[in-house]
Amino acid sequence: MSNARMRSPLGRALGLGSAKDGVEAWWRERVWAVALAPLTVWLTVSILMRADKGYAAVVAWLKMPVTTTLMTLLLVALFHHIAFGLQVVIEDYVHSRIKIPVLVGMRLGCLALGVAGLVAILKIALGA
Amino acid sequence: MIIRSSDEVPRTTVLKRFPVPRNFGVDAASRINRGRTWPAPRGATRIKRFDVYRYDPESGQNPRIDTYQVDLDDCGPMVLDVLIWIKNTVDPSLTFRRSCREGVCGSCAMNIDGTNWLACTKFNADLATPATIYPLANMRIIKDLVPDLTHLFAQHRLVEPWLRSKSPEPERERLQSPQERAQLDGLYECILCFCCTSGCPSHWWNGDRFLGPAVLLQATRWLVDSRDEATGERLDDLEDPFRLYRCHTILNCTRTCPKGLNRGKAIADVKKMPIERRS
Ligand code: SF4
Ligand code: SF4
Ligand code: FES
Repeated sequence: MSNARMRSPLGRALGLGSAKDGVEAWWRERVWAVALAPLTVWLTVSILMRADKGYAAVVAWLKMPVTTTLMTLLLVALFHHIAFGLQVVIEDYVHSRIKIPVLVGMRLGCLALGVAGLVAILKIALGA
Repeated sequence: MIIRSSDEVPRTTVLKRFPVPRNFGVDAASRINRGRTWPAPRGATRIKRFDVYRYDPESGQNPRIDTYQVDLDDCGPMVLDVLIWIKNTVDPSLTFRRSCREGVCGSCAMNIDGTNWLACTKFNADLATPATIYPLANMRIIKDLVPDLTHLFAQHRLVEPWLRSKSPEPERERLQSPQERAQLDGLYECILCFCCTSGCPSHWWNGDRFLGPAVLLQATRWLVDSRDEATGERLDDLEDPFRLYRCHTILNCTRTCPKGLNRGKAIADVKKMPIERRS
Protein backbone atom coordinates (compact mmCIF):
# COMPACT_ATOMS: atom_id res chain seq x y z
CA MET A 1 0.00 0.00 0.00
CA SER A 2 2.74 2.47 0.93
CA ASN A 3 4.44 1.70 -2.38
CA ALA A 4 1.27 2.40 -4.33
CA ARG A 5 1.12 5.82 -2.68
CA MET A 6 4.65 6.72 -3.76
CA ARG A 7 3.91 6.15 -7.43
CA SER A 8 3.53 9.35 -9.42
CA PRO A 9 0.01 10.43 -10.38
CA LEU A 10 0.88 10.04 -14.06
CA GLY A 11 2.26 6.56 -13.45
CA ARG A 12 -0.96 5.60 -11.74
CA ALA A 13 -3.09 7.06 -14.54
CA LEU A 14 -1.02 5.22 -17.17
CA GLY A 15 -1.39 1.92 -15.30
CA LEU A 16 -0.69 -1.04 -17.53
CA GLY A 17 -1.01 1.09 -20.66
CA SER A 18 -3.46 0.89 -23.48
CA ALA A 19 -4.73 -2.51 -24.62
CA LYS A 20 -4.65 -1.09 -28.19
CA ASP A 21 -7.82 -3.06 -28.69
CA GLY A 22 -11.44 -2.80 -27.70
CA VAL A 23 -13.09 -1.47 -30.80
CA GLU A 24 -13.96 -4.98 -31.94
CA ALA A 25 -15.66 -5.89 -28.68
CA TRP A 26 -17.56 -2.61 -28.79
CA TRP A 27 -18.63 -3.03 -32.39
CA ARG A 28 -19.57 -6.71 -31.89
CA GLU A 29 -21.85 -5.73 -29.03
CA ARG A 30 -23.72 -3.34 -31.28
CA VAL A 31 -23.95 -5.71 -34.26
CA TRP A 32 -25.40 -8.56 -32.19
CA ALA A 33 -27.86 -6.19 -30.52
CA VAL A 34 -29.07 -4.97 -33.92
CA ALA A 35 -29.35 -8.53 -35.21
CA LEU A 36 -31.36 -9.55 -32.19
CA ALA A 37 -33.99 -6.83 -32.50
CA PRO A 38 -35.93 -8.07 -35.60
CA LEU A 39 -35.60 -11.70 -34.45
CA THR A 40 -37.17 -10.85 -31.11
CA VAL A 41 -40.06 -9.06 -32.80
CA TRP A 42 -40.56 -12.04 -35.11
CA LEU A 43 -40.60 -14.53 -32.21
CA THR A 44 -42.98 -12.45 -30.10
CA VAL A 45 -45.45 -11.97 -32.95
CA SER A 46 -45.27 -15.62 -33.99
CA ILE A 47 -45.93 -16.87 -30.48
CA LEU A 48 -48.79 -14.46 -29.92
CA MET A 49 -50.36 -15.64 -33.19
CA ARG A 50 -50.25 -19.23 -31.93
CA ALA A 51 -51.21 -18.52 -28.36
CA ASP A 52 -54.45 -20.49 -28.54
CA LYS A 53 -53.52 -23.07 -31.19
CA GLY A 54 -52.24 -25.78 -28.84
CA TYR A 55 -49.08 -27.87 -28.50
CA ALA A 56 -49.23 -29.76 -31.80
CA ALA A 57 -49.56 -26.58 -33.86
CA VAL A 58 -46.54 -25.01 -32.19
CA VAL A 59 -44.43 -28.13 -32.71
CA ALA A 60 -45.46 -28.26 -36.37
CA TRP A 61 -44.52 -24.60 -36.71
CA LEU A 62 -41.13 -25.19 -35.10
CA LYS A 63 -40.44 -28.03 -37.54
CA MET A 64 -40.72 -25.69 -40.54
CA PRO A 65 -37.19 -25.11 -41.96
CA VAL A 66 -37.64 -21.32 -41.88
CA THR A 67 -38.62 -21.41 -38.22
CA THR A 68 -35.72 -23.70 -37.32
CA THR A 69 -33.28 -21.41 -39.10
CA LEU A 70 -34.63 -18.25 -37.49
CA MET A 71 -34.78 -19.90 -34.05
CA THR A 72 -31.15 -20.99 -34.40
CA LEU A 73 -30.11 -17.47 -35.40
CA LEU A 74 -32.12 -16.06 -32.54
CA LEU A 75 -30.47 -18.31 -29.96
CA VAL A 76 -26.99 -17.53 -31.26
CA ALA A 77 -27.68 -13.77 -31.28
CA LEU A 78 -29.41 -13.86 -27.91
CA PHE A 79 -26.61 -15.63 -26.06
CA HIS A 80 -23.93 -13.50 -27.71
CA HIS A 81 -25.87 -10.44 -26.63
CA ILE A 82 -26.25 -11.74 -23.07
CA ALA A 83 -22.57 -12.67 -22.83
CA PHE A 84 -21.32 -9.30 -24.11
CA GLY A 85 -23.82 -7.41 -21.97
CA LEU A 86 -22.89 -9.29 -18.81
CA GLN A 87 -19.21 -8.84 -19.60
CA VAL A 88 -19.67 -5.06 -19.53
CA VAL A 89 -21.71 -5.22 -16.33
CA ILE A 90 -19.12 -7.40 -14.59
CA GLU A 91 -16.19 -5.25 -15.75
CA ASP A 92 -18.05 -2.16 -14.56
CA TYR A 93 -18.92 -3.34 -11.09
CA VAL A 94 -16.62 -6.20 -10.06
CA HIS A 95 -13.24 -4.92 -8.94
CA SER A 96 -11.87 -7.78 -6.86
CA ARG A 97 -9.82 -10.83 -7.69
CA ILE A 98 -12.95 -12.78 -8.58
CA LYS A 99 -13.45 -10.66 -11.71
CA ILE A 100 -11.62 -12.96 -14.14
CA PRO A 101 -13.14 -16.22 -12.75
CA VAL A 102 -16.59 -14.62 -12.86
CA LEU A 103 -16.04 -13.54 -16.47
CA VAL A 104 -14.91 -17.02 -17.50
CA GLY A 105 -17.78 -18.68 -15.64
CA MET A 106 -20.27 -16.32 -17.23
CA ARG A 107 -18.96 -17.07 -20.73
CA LEU A 108 -19.11 -20.84 -20.16
CA GLY A 109 -22.60 -20.53 -18.67
CA CYS A 110 -23.85 -18.62 -21.71
CA LEU A 111 -22.24 -21.18 -24.01
CA ALA A 112 -23.89 -24.07 -22.14
CA LEU A 113 -27.32 -22.46 -22.15
CA GLY A 114 -27.02 -21.54 -25.83
CA VAL A 115 -26.03 -25.08 -26.79
CA ALA A 116 -28.89 -26.48 -24.71
CA GLY A 117 -31.29 -24.24 -26.62
CA LEU A 118 -29.88 -25.32 -29.97
CA VAL A 119 -30.14 -29.00 -29.04
CA ALA A 120 -33.78 -28.47 -28.09
CA ILE A 121 -34.56 -26.75 -31.39
CA LEU A 122 -32.77 -29.39 -33.45
CA LYS A 123 -34.42 -32.19 -31.51
CA ILE A 124 -37.83 -30.81 -32.36
CA ALA A 125 -36.86 -30.10 -35.96
CA LEU A 126 -35.30 -33.50 -36.66
CA GLY A 127 -37.26 -35.60 -34.21
CA ALA A 128 -39.99 -37.92 -35.28
CA MET B 1 -34.71 12.43 -25.51
CA ILE B 2 -31.11 12.63 -26.67
CA ILE B 3 -29.46 15.57 -24.97
CA ARG B 4 -27.20 17.62 -27.20
CA SER B 5 -26.35 20.44 -24.85
CA SER B 6 -26.85 21.39 -21.24
CA ASP B 7 -29.22 24.24 -22.12
CA GLU B 8 -31.76 21.74 -23.44
CA VAL B 9 -32.22 20.05 -20.09
CA PRO B 10 -35.67 20.52 -18.58
CA ARG B 11 -35.74 22.83 -15.59
CA THR B 12 -37.91 20.53 -13.49
CA THR B 13 -36.83 17.05 -12.55
CA VAL B 14 -39.05 14.46 -10.93
CA LEU B 15 -36.38 12.93 -8.72
CA LYS B 16 -33.65 15.19 -7.47
CA ARG B 17 -31.62 12.24 -6.33
CA PHE B 18 -32.01 8.48 -6.32
CA PRO B 19 -34.21 7.71 -3.31
CA VAL B 20 -31.70 6.03 -1.02
CA PRO B 21 -31.19 7.31 2.54
CA ARG B 22 -28.38 9.86 2.44
CA ASN B 23 -25.88 7.90 4.51
CA PHE B 24 -26.86 4.42 3.30
CA GLY B 25 -23.88 2.08 3.18
CA VAL B 26 -21.49 4.92 3.91
CA ASP B 27 -18.46 4.30 6.10
CA ALA B 28 -19.04 5.67 9.63
CA ALA B 29 -16.19 8.16 9.27
CA SER B 30 -17.67 9.57 6.07
CA ARG B 31 -21.27 10.05 7.22
CA ILE B 32 -22.50 13.57 6.83
CA ASN B 33 -23.76 15.13 10.06
CA ARG B 34 -25.75 18.29 10.68
CA GLY B 35 -23.44 21.20 11.40
CA ARG B 36 -24.22 24.57 12.82
CA THR B 37 -26.72 27.16 11.67
CA TRP B 38 -25.63 30.71 11.02
CA PRO B 39 -28.50 33.21 11.38
CA ALA B 40 -29.11 36.04 8.94
CA PRO B 41 -27.65 39.42 9.88
CA ARG B 42 -30.02 41.69 11.73
CA GLY B 43 -32.22 43.82 9.50
CA ALA B 44 -31.98 41.47 6.47
CA THR B 45 -35.24 41.18 4.56
CA ARG B 46 -34.59 38.97 1.53
CA ILE B 47 -33.20 35.84 3.15
CA LYS B 48 -32.37 32.54 1.43
CA ARG B 49 -31.19 29.39 3.14
CA PHE B 50 -28.04 27.67 1.83
CA ASP B 51 -27.00 24.22 3.07
CA VAL B 52 -23.27 23.90 2.47
CA TYR B 53 -21.01 20.85 2.78
CA ARG B 54 -18.14 21.32 5.20
CA TYR B 55 -15.28 18.90 5.72
CA ASP B 56 -11.79 19.20 7.09
CA PRO B 57 -10.02 15.82 6.82
CA GLU B 58 -7.31 16.99 9.22
CA SER B 59 -9.80 17.69 11.99
CA GLY B 60 -10.63 14.00 12.30
CA GLN B 61 -14.32 14.90 12.36
CA ASN B 62 -17.05 13.76 10.01
CA PRO B 63 -18.25 15.96 7.16
CA ARG B 64 -21.20 18.16 8.11
CA ILE B 65 -23.80 20.39 6.52
CA ASP B 66 -23.77 23.98 7.75
CA THR B 67 -26.81 26.14 7.19
CA TYR B 68 -26.34 29.79 6.27
CA GLN B 69 -29.17 32.31 6.16
CA VAL B 70 -27.98 34.61 3.42
CA ASP B 71 -29.01 38.24 2.96
CA LEU B 72 -29.63 38.34 -0.79
CA ASP B 73 -29.82 42.15 -0.79
CA ASP B 74 -26.24 42.32 0.47
CA CYS B 75 -24.59 40.12 -2.21
CA GLY B 76 -24.45 39.59 -5.95
CA PRO B 77 -26.82 37.40 -7.98
CA MET B 78 -24.62 34.30 -8.38
CA VAL B 79 -23.89 31.34 -6.15
CA LEU B 80 -20.23 32.36 -6.06
CA ASP B 81 -21.29 35.78 -4.76
CA VAL B 82 -23.12 34.04 -1.94
CA LEU B 83 -20.07 31.96 -1.06
CA ILE B 84 -17.83 35.02 -1.06
CA TRP B 85 -20.40 36.88 1.06
CA ILE B 86 -20.43 34.02 3.58
CA LYS B 87 -16.65 33.95 3.73
CA ASN B 88 -16.35 37.73 4.10
CA THR B 89 -19.15 38.45 6.53
CA VAL B 90 -20.16 35.26 8.32
CA ASP B 91 -17.69 32.41 8.37
CA PRO B 92 -14.11 32.99 7.10
CA SER B 93 -13.30 29.28 7.43
CA LEU B 94 -15.47 28.31 4.42
CA THR B 95 -13.07 27.09 1.72
CA PHE B 96 -13.65 27.03 -2.04
CA ARG B 97 -11.76 27.71 -5.26
CA ARG B 98 -12.48 30.62 -7.54
CA SER B 99 -10.58 32.96 -9.76
CA CYS B 100 -12.19 34.54 -12.81
CA ARG B 101 -15.79 34.76 -11.52
CA GLU B 102 -17.02 34.71 -15.14
CA GLY B 103 -16.96 31.09 -16.25
CA VAL B 104 -13.58 30.91 -17.96
CA CYS B 105 -11.14 29.49 -15.41
CA GLY B 106 -13.07 26.41 -14.33
CA SER B 107 -12.06 26.69 -10.66
CA CYS B 108 -15.44 27.06 -9.03
CA ALA B 109 -17.09 23.84 -10.25
CA MET B 110 -19.24 22.28 -7.54
CA ASN B 111 -22.45 20.38 -7.03
CA ILE B 112 -25.24 22.94 -6.77
CA ASP B 113 -28.75 21.69 -6.05
CA GLY B 114 -27.71 18.24 -7.22
CA THR B 115 -26.13 19.33 -10.51
CA ASN B 116 -22.48 20.04 -11.23
CA TRP B 117 -22.05 23.61 -12.43
CA LEU B 118 -19.85 26.66 -12.05
CA ALA B 119 -20.83 28.66 -8.97
CA CYS B 120 -20.05 31.87 -10.83
CA THR B 121 -22.50 31.22 -13.67
CA LYS B 122 -25.39 29.87 -11.61
CA PHE B 123 -28.08 32.33 -10.54
CA ASN B 124 -29.30 32.13 -6.95
CA ALA B 125 -32.78 32.79 -8.32
CA ASP B 126 -32.69 29.39 -10.09
CA LEU B 127 -32.02 27.42 -6.91
CA ALA B 128 -34.41 25.58 -4.64
CA THR B 129 -34.90 26.61 -1.02
CA PRO B 130 -32.89 25.50 0.81
CA ALA B 131 -30.19 25.51 -1.84
CA THR B 132 -27.65 22.72 -1.42
CA ILE B 133 -23.95 23.15 -2.19
CA TYR B 134 -21.65 20.13 -2.26
CA PRO B 135 -18.19 19.65 -3.74
CA LEU B 136 -17.78 17.73 -7.00
CA ALA B 137 -18.67 14.10 -6.39
CA ASN B 138 -16.27 11.17 -6.46
CA MET B 139 -13.14 13.10 -5.55
CA ARG B 140 -11.00 13.10 -2.44
CA ILE B 141 -11.85 16.28 -0.59
CA ILE B 142 -9.01 18.57 0.44
CA LYS B 143 -11.30 20.88 2.37
CA ASP B 144 -14.98 21.87 2.15
CA LEU B 145 -15.70 22.56 -1.53
CA VAL B 146 -12.16 21.94 -2.78
CA PRO B 147 -11.69 18.54 -4.45
CA ASP B 148 -8.34 16.94 -5.23
CA LEU B 149 -7.99 16.96 -9.03
CA THR B 150 -4.52 15.36 -9.18
CA HIS B 151 -5.69 12.15 -10.85
CA LEU B 152 -7.84 14.00 -13.38
CA PHE B 153 -4.93 16.21 -14.44
CA ALA B 154 -2.70 13.13 -14.65
CA GLN B 155 -5.25 11.57 -16.98
CA HIS B 156 -5.26 14.80 -18.97
CA ARG B 157 -1.45 14.65 -19.21
CA LEU B 158 -1.74 11.06 -20.42
CA VAL B 159 -3.41 12.07 -23.69
CA GLU B 160 -0.54 14.50 -24.40
CA PRO B 161 -2.74 17.54 -24.96
CA TRP B 162 -0.32 19.45 -27.17
CA LEU B 163 0.56 19.58 -30.84
CA ARG B 164 2.67 16.62 -31.94
CA SER B 165 4.13 17.17 -35.36
CA LYS B 166 6.64 15.26 -37.50
CA SER B 167 7.12 17.70 -40.37
CA PRO B 168 10.17 19.89 -39.90
CA GLU B 169 9.48 22.94 -37.80
CA PRO B 170 8.06 25.64 -40.11
CA GLU B 171 9.52 29.12 -40.35
CA ARG B 172 6.15 30.68 -39.65
CA GLU B 173 2.83 29.67 -38.06
CA ARG B 174 1.32 26.30 -38.96
CA LEU B 175 -1.58 27.23 -41.19
CA GLN B 176 -5.12 25.96 -40.97
CA SER B 177 -7.98 26.67 -43.36
CA PRO B 178 -11.14 28.19 -41.86
CA GLN B 179 -12.87 24.82 -42.41
CA GLU B 180 -10.11 22.96 -40.58
CA ARG B 181 -10.30 25.44 -37.77
CA ALA B 182 -14.07 24.99 -37.59
CA GLN B 183 -13.53 21.33 -36.71
CA LEU B 184 -12.28 22.42 -33.32
CA ASP B 185 -15.50 24.26 -32.51
CA GLY B 186 -17.33 22.60 -29.66
CA LEU B 187 -14.05 21.11 -28.44
CA TYR B 188 -11.59 23.91 -27.77
CA GLU B 189 -14.00 25.78 -25.47
CA CYS B 190 -13.59 23.27 -22.62
CA ILE B 191 -12.26 24.94 -19.47
CA LEU B 192 -11.37 21.70 -17.65
CA CYS B 193 -13.76 22.35 -14.78
CA PHE B 194 -14.46 18.56 -14.56
CA CYS B 195 -18.18 19.04 -13.92
CA CYS B 196 -18.69 16.32 -16.52
CA THR B 197 -16.15 13.78 -15.29
CA SER B 198 -17.41 14.15 -11.73
CA GLY B 199 -20.95 13.38 -12.93
CA CYS B 200 -20.03 10.38 -15.06
CA PRO B 201 -21.11 7.03 -13.54
CA SER B 202 -18.51 5.15 -15.57
CA HIS B 203 -15.83 7.35 -14.06
CA TRP B 204 -17.24 6.68 -10.57
CA TRP B 205 -16.85 2.91 -10.99
CA ASN B 206 -13.70 2.78 -13.12
CA GLY B 207 -12.10 6.21 -12.83
CA ASP B 208 -8.69 4.64 -12.30
CA ARG B 209 -8.72 3.40 -15.90
CA PHE B 210 -11.55 5.16 -17.75
CA LEU B 211 -10.38 8.60 -18.86
CA GLY B 212 -13.71 10.32 -18.37
CA PRO B 213 -15.52 12.82 -20.59
CA ALA B 214 -13.35 15.91 -20.01
CA VAL B 215 -10.12 14.15 -20.94
CA LEU B 216 -11.74 12.31 -23.85
CA LEU B 217 -12.97 15.65 -25.17
CA GLN B 218 -9.41 16.97 -25.00
CA ALA B 219 -8.17 13.83 -26.76
CA THR B 220 -10.75 14.43 -29.49
CA ARG B 221 -9.64 18.01 -29.82
CA TRP B 222 -6.14 16.82 -30.79
CA LEU B 223 -7.37 13.92 -32.92
CA VAL B 224 -9.29 16.27 -35.21
CA ASP B 225 -6.72 19.07 -35.29
CA SER B 226 -5.52 19.31 -38.90
CA ARG B 227 -2.01 20.37 -37.78
CA ASP B 228 -1.43 17.34 -35.56
CA GLU B 229 0.51 14.44 -37.05
CA ALA B 230 0.28 11.89 -34.24
CA THR B 231 -3.32 10.81 -34.86
CA GLY B 232 -2.34 7.15 -35.19
CA GLU B 233 -0.35 7.08 -31.96
CA ARG B 234 -3.12 8.96 -30.20
CA LEU B 235 -5.69 6.41 -31.35
CA ASP B 236 -3.41 3.55 -30.25
CA ASP B 237 -3.22 5.08 -26.78
CA LEU B 238 -6.98 5.56 -26.58
CA GLU B 239 -8.24 2.30 -28.01
CA ASP B 240 -8.79 0.34 -24.85
CA PRO B 241 -11.84 -1.33 -23.30
CA PHE B 242 -11.43 0.91 -20.25
CA ARG B 243 -9.76 4.15 -21.33
CA LEU B 244 -12.28 4.89 -24.08
CA TYR B 245 -14.90 2.17 -24.42
CA ARG B 246 -15.99 2.30 -20.77
CA CYS B 247 -18.17 5.24 -21.83
CA HIS B 248 -21.71 3.87 -22.03
CA THR B 249 -23.33 6.96 -23.53
CA ILE B 250 -25.17 7.79 -20.33
CA LEU B 251 -24.81 11.47 -21.33
CA ASN B 252 -24.64 12.87 -17.81
CA CYS B 253 -21.59 14.69 -19.12
CA THR B 254 -23.51 16.54 -21.80
CA ARG B 255 -26.26 17.43 -19.33
CA THR B 256 -23.91 19.02 -16.88
CA CYS B 257 -21.40 20.93 -19.01
CA PRO B 258 -21.55 24.63 -18.05
CA LYS B 259 -20.04 25.49 -21.44
CA GLY B 260 -22.81 23.59 -23.26
CA LEU B 261 -20.40 21.20 -25.01
CA ASN B 262 -21.61 17.90 -26.42
CA ARG B 263 -19.14 15.39 -25.03
CA GLY B 264 -21.44 12.51 -25.85
CA LYS B 265 -21.10 13.23 -29.56
CA ALA B 266 -17.35 13.86 -29.41
CA ILE B 267 -16.76 10.52 -27.67
CA ALA B 268 -19.09 8.67 -30.04
CA ASP B 269 -17.06 10.02 -32.99
CA VAL B 270 -13.79 8.86 -31.45
CA LYS B 271 -15.20 5.40 -30.75
CA LYS B 272 -15.80 5.01 -34.48
CA MET B 273 -12.34 6.15 -35.60
CA PRO B 274 -10.60 2.80 -34.99
CA ILE B 275 -13.26 1.14 -37.16
CA GLU B 276 -12.50 3.60 -39.91
CA ARG B 277 -8.83 2.73 -39.92
CA ARG B 278 -9.29 -1.01 -40.03
CA SER B 279 -12.12 -1.43 -42.50
S1 SF4 C 1 -16.33 19.45 -21.15
FE1 SF4 C 1 -17.57 21.02 -20.12
S2 SF4 C 1 -17.99 20.13 -18.08
FE2 SF4 C 1 -16.32 18.97 -18.96
S3 SF4 C 1 -14.47 19.92 -18.17
FE3 SF4 C 1 -14.91 20.85 -20.18
S4 SF4 C 1 -16.12 22.66 -19.76
FE4 SF4 C 1 -16.14 21.40 -17.91
S1 SF4 D 1 -21.65 9.64 -22.07
FE1 SF4 D 1 -19.81 8.51 -21.47
S2 SF4 D 1 -18.44 10.01 -20.66
FE2 SF4 D 1 -20.48 10.96 -20.69
S3 SF4 D 1 -21.35 10.57 -18.66
FE3 SF4 D 1 -21.90 8.92 -19.96
S4 SF4 D 1 -20.38 7.30 -19.67
FE4 SF4 D 1 -19.56 9.24 -18.90
S1 FES E 1 -14.53 31.40 -10.92
FE1 FES E 1 -13.67 30.92 -12.89
S2 FES E 1 -15.17 29.56 -13.66
FE2 FES E 1 -16.11 30.23 -11.84
